[in-house]
Amino acid sequence: MTAPATDQPVDLTVPAVAVEDLAVRFGTESGVVTALEGVDLTIEEGSFLSILGPSGCGKSTLLRVVADLVPPAEGRMEVLGQTPTRSRKDRALGFVFQDAGLLAWRTALENVEIPLKVGKVEPREARDPRELLALVGLAGREDAYPHELSGGMRQRVSIARALVTQPRVLLMDEPFGALDEITRDALNDELLRIWQATGTTVLFVTHSIPESVYLAQRVLVLRANPGRVAEVVDIDLPYPRELTLRETPEFMSYTARMRQILETC
Amino acid sequence: MSTPAPPASKLRGIDKDGREVPLSLGVRRVNPVVAALTSVAGAVGLVLVWQLVVTALSVPTYIVPAPTDVVTSLVDDFDLLVSNLWPTALESVSGFVIGNVVAIVLAVVFVHNASLERSLFPVAIVIRTVPIVAIAPVLVLMLGNGYAPKIAIAALISFFPTLVNMVRGFHSADAQAIELFRVLSASKWEIFWKVRAYSSLPFLFSSLKIAATSSVIGAIVAEWIGANAGLGALIIDATFNFRTPLLYSTMVFASVLALAFFLLITLVERWVVTWEVEVAP
Repeated sequence: MTAPATDQPVDLTVPAVAVEDLAVRFGTESGVVTALEGVDLTIEEGSFLSILGPSGCGKSTLLRVVADLVPPAEGRMEVLGQTPTRSRKDRALGFVFQDAGLLAWRTALENVEIPLKVGKVEPREARDPRELLALVGLAGREDAYPHELSGGMRQRVSIARALVTQPRVLLMDEPFGALDEITRDALNDELLRIWQATGTTVLFVTHSIPESVYLAQRVLVLRANPGRVAEVVDIDLPYPRELTLRETPEFMSYTARMRQILETC
Repeated sequence: MSTPAPPASKLRGIDKDGREVPLSLGVRRVNPVVAALTSVAGAVGLVLVWQLVVTALSVPTYIVPAPTDVVTSLVDDFDLLVSNLWPTALESVSGFVIGNVVAIVLAVVFVHNASLERSLFPVAIVIRTVPIVAIAPVLVLMLGNGYAPKIAIAALISFFPTLVNMVRGFHSADAQAIELFRVLSASKWEIFWKVRAYSSLPFLFSSLKIAATSSVIGAIVAEWIGANAGLGALIIDATFNFRTPLLYSTMVFASVLALAFFLLITLVERWVVTWEVEVAP
């Protein structure tokens, strides 16, 4: 387990993320705040999980513990069978933030190249940044600066940037939350396509019920104060999914169910 | 990279011939040539009024010289002015460089050491409130009558805006970009050079532009306290000898020096900061 994962073949019996009795606390001026408590969760490699919940339920915190940006206070967290720190150092994680977080002084292509040029460890596998920009529908815009791109295009660049190291776990923190609905729908479809093309595990934080159901195989619903698991719902709808799916009674019954769970949160 | 054109108005209207035309929101485009001529006309008009008033009221030259007297002095005393320009230019440029380098280094230290920032930053702000005119004699007493006290004062006056702006600039770096670099296991050094340093550049240049003009002021103020050469010494000399036209032409030289320095920094900024800045420094 201490050996770097680079030397090991991908072991499908090891879950992408395994969480046991996890608690996260933050020290603030008014005392210690419990962001997450008693979280148990297993996420299989290659699966798509949405994390849904009211604001302040610790959705983003959970993602940040996986990414090794926040340390757990109690419990166990394993990412790809090792500590989050180890997985981060192995360059096995990709992160997409709510704001694209692009560097304003770099072109779209140069922004996608960042993960290949930063950090000591060479990424296990690198994808061609140009190819990735084409994958997210930005062929021909390689030399555009962020301020020349729309919000949706910037978010596409940040997705391409997260994919450039071929991450085994892709963490997405409300990536489409700041976009208009039309752009959001288009990016949802593209994300599903990318997920199926790359086979990466996706953890997708959102506060949109339809989005969570539309994308994921499973939805983890969190309740707030303190953040706990309310329920994990399997979404039994076949892929590839299309936007018209949202008008079907099956889809509606899932969203109604989510709303019901959230009301008790 | 060329700067992108300002976004065209997205509003459309129909003109009297039924064609679709962009609507402007009452902002009328002014021809740039006309705009330039208007400001030149303003300046010329002001000088004319000055000339007329001084001649009409027959104000003595030693009290207020006419623009023509100043031009005469600029021509006659040109060599004297130039020979006094160089010491001031040397002092202000050296002070500018030293003050800004120290400020940048200190800001870098502050960014990497929060407790040092908390303890020293307020001290720096307090020192800043002491007027430079009050500090100048102290430095002249300490450093003598040569270039040193002038450079020190020009440095001091350049130092504070850059320190304050650089600390702000380093902290202005996008929080998510820094988190991204952490996920990528980037070192503190990489975060500094690849994110913070670039984010601080617009802030740096806005303080360099302030420092460019104020370092000239600093050098001149220091020369007032005691100097044998320089525009400041010339100002004192011209004032006490009632050579008022020379005093005015010295002022012209001083402002041309400051303006040239400012323009130089602006040009360098255009060349370096090619991207759009979201948060105005």
